[in-house]
Amino acid sequence: AHTTVDISGLLQHVKFQSSNFENILTWDGGPTSTSDTVYSVEYKKYGERKWLAKAGCQRITQKFCNLTMETRNHTEFYYAKVTAVSAGVPPVTKMTDRFSSLQHTTIKPPDVTCIPKVRSIQMLVHPTLTPVLSEDGHQLTLEEIFHDLFYRLELHVNHTYQMHLEGKQREYEFLGLTPDTEFLGSITILTPILSKESAPYVCRVKTLPDRTW
Amino acid sequence: DAVSVLPAPQNLSVQSTNMKHLLMWNPVTRPGETVFYCVEYQGEYESLYMSHIWIPSSQCSSTKSLECDVTDDITATVPYNFRVKAMLGSQTSAWSNLEHPFNRNATVLTPPRMEVTEHGLHLVIELEDLGPQFEFLVVYWRREPGAAEHVKVVRSGDIPVHLETMESGAMYCVKAQALVKAIGRHSAFSQPTCVEMQGESLPL
Amino acid sequence: QEFRFGSCQVTGVVLPELWEAFWTMKNTVQTQDDITSVRLLKPQVLRNVSDAESCYLAHSLLKFYLNTVFKNYHSKIAKFKVLRSFSTLANNFIVIMSQLQPSKDNSMLPISESAHQRFLLFRRAFKQLDTEVALVKAFGEVDILLTWMQKFYHL
Repeated sequence: AHTTVDISGLLQHVKFQSSNFENILTWDGGPTSTSDTVYSVEYKKYGERKWLAKAGCQRITQKFCNLTMETRNHTEFYYAKVTAVSAGVPPVTKMTDRFSSLQHTTIKPPDVTCIPKVRSIQMLVHPTLTPVLSEDGHQLTLEEIFHDLFYRLELHVNHTYQMHLEGKQREYEFLGLTPDTEFLGSITILTPILSKESAPYVCRVKTLPDRTW
Repeated sequence: DAVSVLPAPQNLSVQSTNMKHLLMWNPVTRPGETVFYCVEYQGEYESLYMSHIWIPSSQCSSTKSLECDVTDDITATVPYNFRVKAMLGSQTSAWSNLEHPFNRNATVLTPPRMEVTEHGLHLVIELEDLGPQFEFLVVYWRREPGAAEHVKVVRSGDIPVHLETMESGAMYCVKAQALVKAIGRHSAFSQPTCVEMQGESLPL
Repeated sequence: QEFRFGSCQVTGVVLPELWEAFWTMKNTVQTQDDITSVRLLKPQVLRNVSDAESCYLAHSLLKFYLNTVFKNYHSKIAKFKVLRSFSTLANNFIVIMSQLQPSKDNSMLPISESAHQRFLLFRRAFKQLDTEVALVKAFGEVDILLTWMQKFYHL
């Protein structure tokens, strides 16, 4: 981040943090910032001249600002900048690096329901809505944004081997399991083109006892 | 730069198997001395647009070895030039160039090693880890006349992967081939490995 | 995995590797570009490009990047110690270029002309800037180019 040389040490580390397209601008105070230091946020699209003030983040004391709505076009590129004002020292402004949520956002673990049966375990992956809007205004899911997205499911069988399933669909079932036995399932979202991989959703489930004997 | 009194290394060649590329050359010998070597490369872009530009190899900017793993330097499916020079103290040899540029699509792909085991009624395969560029096509079938073949793509090696839940007492066979999308080629199939499913399923 | 720019098919390029290469240079390169109010690959250049147009536009843009941007920007890259990543990008752009064969059929003239107008929009913006500034900006916009190309990439 760069704009004015910060000789007074008021402001540092101005950057975006993004997860599932929730884009939060964060920064740190510097060695000379005090509890009275106030911060104001502006943002714009790369290629546009005019900076826009973010309502709700003018002369604030907190060191973060939610710019999700302002930066919700995931194929666009943005800049944001913070101005720090503190009594007795000149104000300092610092800008982020060029931000693209498509490149920068991390993927949260999926929301999954694990359903044990007698000789199988069913796994239902629920769609993840994002703040990104389609052209007709509906919220897009991760699947709609990343056309290469797929799910990887692993069922760990008593530390010796794993059962693997993967695909783009949302319903999966691991078959041929032993009744009344505990298994560890882990489900991950992958978007290989941008090398994104979520942390796994983990479920520990026990198959039902077989009462047919 | 230092006057070139050392002879340049000779007989540069590249040996490439399963997308591991090894540049090799003959030694330059000085009795009682240790000669070092420096490797540089250029891709097709550099040779076409800026032939004076050579890039130091990521692994061997100064090595005693007579070979250099240039796998990480080759990051496109285009011809690459390599050159090596010898260094001894302040003395350096002339550069010696690879006679013919090397393209990674010439790599030798070998049938993957695999281990097939059965766990209760589960047929499990573990393939050798050949690196991120590789996927594996696994074909398995029940050994009986007219049995259908089943196909599964396994993304990475060295993890035991469950293929199928089998019927007890039956014999099942498995074979696999390695796929490299970056060069659009695949290996031959491995020899089939057959496993007999034991009796009733064991507690897992 | 391949690119399909309309009828033009390109194999042998691993797009994630291009992204990785650019990401090692991104902040170094984009920080050199102080003019945040000018964008060369404007939305109008790349928005709503039809499949049929895409081969022509990809060919023009990649050719410009190889012949002009990369070639003249290279001297700066050497000092940033990202020669290797630059080489990965440049050599993979050559792989793509070598396989793009836009049709020369007369029936495609309106489409190729439309693609050409988009390319001219980009090149005009490039020429309006001082050459050094334009080179830095164009190289910093490789991620905009990759984001567009990604729409035509199939695993």
